[in-house]
Amino acid sequence: MSYKVTEDGNIATIHLDGEIDMDVTEKAKEVIFPHIEAGKEVHLNLSNVQYMDSSGISVLIESHQKALEKNTKVIIKDVSKSVLKVIMMAKLEQILNLE
Amino acid sequence: MSETAQSNHTEKKDFLVRSSSLKDVRTFCREVFEKLQIEQNLKDELVLAIAEAAQNIVKHAYKDDPQTDDKMVVQISCKDNKLQIGFYDMGTPVDPNKVKHREIDNVKPGGLGTFFIQEIMDAVEFKDGKKPWINHLVLTKQL
Repeated sequence: MSYKVTEDGNIATIHLDGEIDMDVTEKAKEVIFPHIEAGKEVHLNLSNVQYMDSSGISVLIESHQKALEKNTKVIIKDVSKSVLKVIMMAKLEQILNLE
Repeated sequence: MSETAQSNHTEKKDFLVRSSSLKDVRTFCREVFEKLQIEQNLKDELVLAIAEAAQNIVKHAYKDDPQTDDKMVVQISCKDNKLQIGFYDMGTPVDPNKVKHREIDNVKPGGLGTFFIQEIMDAVEFKDGKKPWINHLVLTKQL
């Protein structure tokens, strides 16, 4: 997994790239969580993530919940069809902020 | 269903029980399913189910031994339109009665892997592992 972060005011846009599985979840958390903890609105662009397993979904849930605690939000943007399918299988499309 | 998928086919491969092997497990599955000419949507689902089962071995059966040099084996068989995926490992014995996913409406991190496996596959069965194996999981799906 690789990533790119850009910041514009209070918005941190994080582009993840590659496959998100158990092997990279700690790295994904290290990239995402500090921005949430800093109170930023995080835009998580998943257009280049073609595979995500339950560990990756857990990162999305944890990010969403952390953001609520910090009175901010995580918006998941441009989710690929294959990842959307997994999000829907987990019945999270109404819980997570998808755009 | 393709003619290829209807034919009898078996392949197996061993992998070091590490999270870094999960990518290799997926690659192996994709290659086999390519040969079987399984359509993309189903292929994606099957790869996810298999990777989740392999992840469970790493995460649970080897929870206390993350630096193990043990191998796990994944065997994919297709016979008479029935896909059977076997997993063999030498980790902590699994108690099938304790293998449960979380309530899907109770949104929290974790507990989804088993749910995905059960959603995707027709049957999930723990069998007695024959020596040297401790655990033998079998997933089946009618194609």
